Amino acid sequence: MFFDSDLLMSALRALTPILLAALGGALCERAGVFNIGLEGMMLMGCFTAVATSWFTGSPWLGVLAAALAAAAYSLILAVGTVTLRGDAVVLGIAMNLLAVGLTSFLLRTIFGVQGTFDDPSLAGLPLVGGFSPLAYLAWAAVGVSALLLSRHVWGLRLRGVGEAPDAAATLGVSPARYKYAAVLLSGVLCGLAGAQLALGNVTLFSENMTAGRGWIAVVAVMLGRALPLGVLLAALLFGLAEAAGFRLQGLGMPQQATDAAPYVVTLVALFLSTAQRRRRNARTTGVAS
Amino acid sequence: MPRTRRSRSLQLAAVATGTVLLAAATGCNAASKDDSSSAGAKSGGKSFTLVTPDPVGQNQFLKLAVDGVKAAAKTHDGTQKVYQSSDSASQQQNVQAAVDAAPDVIVLVGFEFADLVAQQAEAHPKQQFLVVDACTEKTFKNVSCAVFREHEGVYLAGAEAGLLSESGKVGAVDVLDTPQFRRYSDPFAAGAEKVAPKTTASTRFVGGQSPFDDSARAKEQANSLLAKGADHIMAAAAAGNYGVFEAAQAKKAYAYGVDVNQCTAAPGTVVDNVIKKTDVAVQEGIEQVIGGKAGKTVSYGLKEGGISLTGLEDGVKSSKCVIADHEDVLKKVEALRDQIVSGELTVDDPAAK
Repeated sequence: MFFDSDLLMSALRALTPILLAALGGALCERAGVFNIGLEGMMLMGCFTAVATSWFTGSPWLGVLAAALAAAAYSLILAVGTVTLRGDAVVLGIAMNLLAVGLTSFLLRTIFGVQGTFDDPSLAGLPLVGGFSPLAYLAWAAVGVSALLLSRHVWGLRLRGVGEAPDAAATLGVSPARYKYAAVLLSGVLCGLAGAQLALGNVTLFSENMTAGRGWIAVVAVMLGRALPLGVLLAALLFGLAEAAGFRLQGLGMPQQATDAAPYVVTLVALFLSTAQRRRRNARTTGVAS
Repeated sequence: MPRTRRSRSLQLAAVATGTVLLAAATGCNAASKDDSSSAGAKSGGKSFTLVTPDPVGQNQFLKLAVDGVKAAAKTHDGTQKVYQSSDSASQQQNVQAAVDAAPDVIVLVGFEFADLVAQQAEAHPKQQFLVVDACTEKTFKNVSCAVFREHEGVYLAGAEAGLLSESGKVGAVDVLDTPQFRRYSDPFAAGAEKVAPKTTASTRFVGGQSPFDDSARAKEQANSLLAKGADHIMAAAAAGNYGVFEAAQAKKAYAYGVDVNQCTAAPGTVVDNVIKKTDVAVQEGIEQVIGGKAGKTVSYGLKEGGISLTGLEDGVKSSKCVIADHEDVLKKVEALRDQIVSGELTVDDPAAK
């Protein structure tokens, strides 16, 4: 049996942190801020979650602190791009680099260890029905953000700010305020993603433990065209490809090939969705592109 | 090797940038030096300098190296210094500082130093270097190397797993599918099959973007082994080991650690560890250099006492390892070790193929 419940559970566990971060990225994308700092914000969330849970004994306070800390960290992007009009790509990369150095430094100064902090008495999140409560929150967040963006006036304005900031401004909608809100919300979501990774998927902190998940979230935003449901499908695709990759190793496929699985899947999905979009465009405009 | 926690390339740049920023902010001195000379630094005594890739702190692997240098200094009535590095920049500074001070032997632990030593060895042909747990690509007359035969220890851990497994299925979570890393997985299967021929073994490689750091991924790999019925898992996934232990603990299965005693990370789950005795390699390596046999690579395995299991060392009772409760298993494993030491039994080296 190749596809069984273990495989699905494994895929869903892998999916949760990526989904939370990608939803944050999607909100930013809609507000017209290209956020590639998801990885760094998530890593800040991981560290804050573990440190807070360790010192207070409560994983819930850890989750809260992670959301707040990552939101505070996201201010770098908000202030940098919206107020100071800096380049979002440069800022995002800087945030990712700074997060690796900063969390490693804090790990050494606060915990006096290097590499990994792991203690049997570190409190992780409880499991409800096989998943951490944050996993349910992530699924709920997909629905909420989809409704918010498509049905609520706030979402309409956010999209307006992203697509035509000048037009939004003439209608009395402050682009700056909406962009700040989107970036801060993405910080909160990335903080939750980090907490899920460090207190849910595993219960420990290790340097650079996000290991590229933030980048996969960035790709999920693009692949899902910044639509919450699209992002969910993209993240699910990654989760399944990864879990299936582990299985395929068991059947003798080399690790180097299974490593490529999520990226091959991305390329195929991008290709198919682009081809489909082109066909649709050609039909509506009557011009072959 | 799975001691390393960070994949090179990209992260190196990331870490370097981060640390530069922080160093600037805190004004901290990257390289910390700990000069401690044993009684009476006479002009006739030998001097040794140890350069570590990371702060020694609680790192047992490096602590043993410090012990080795101290013991050598004592034997030769000489002096020793330990230069602890904290990042790639301070590694370079420390190697330079060590070369400038020109001690009799400079000891460097870790693959991080392979390239640095190669540069320095060429520029300072009179300086003797001893590289532990790695070697330079080219051979130099003044560079001696001490490497380990990890596969012998992993084989013994596999034998323990074969004897203890109830399901008859064992597995390994390894970092990368390369011959060098397969030393941590293939011999595990071979050892288990040796003592329990019906045992089936399977390996998962962490891989991905940061194979050394990704504990969540390592945990899922372990989960996929556990889902297939494996109940004893060799963990050779660097930082990912903690993820493997968590997975095993949740399913009431067992795991094996590497390099140092990792039983304390998950008491009741970790059965035993394949440990590298850096103190032995450092001490004997220094003797070899002083004795005029420099420029050679010596490998340390079970026979030389460079590789062992926590269960085969003193203090197993207080190690928190599961194996402490299985003396019958330890007796059989000791017999196997003696066979390997005597040469009656050889363990295939995946890196030699």
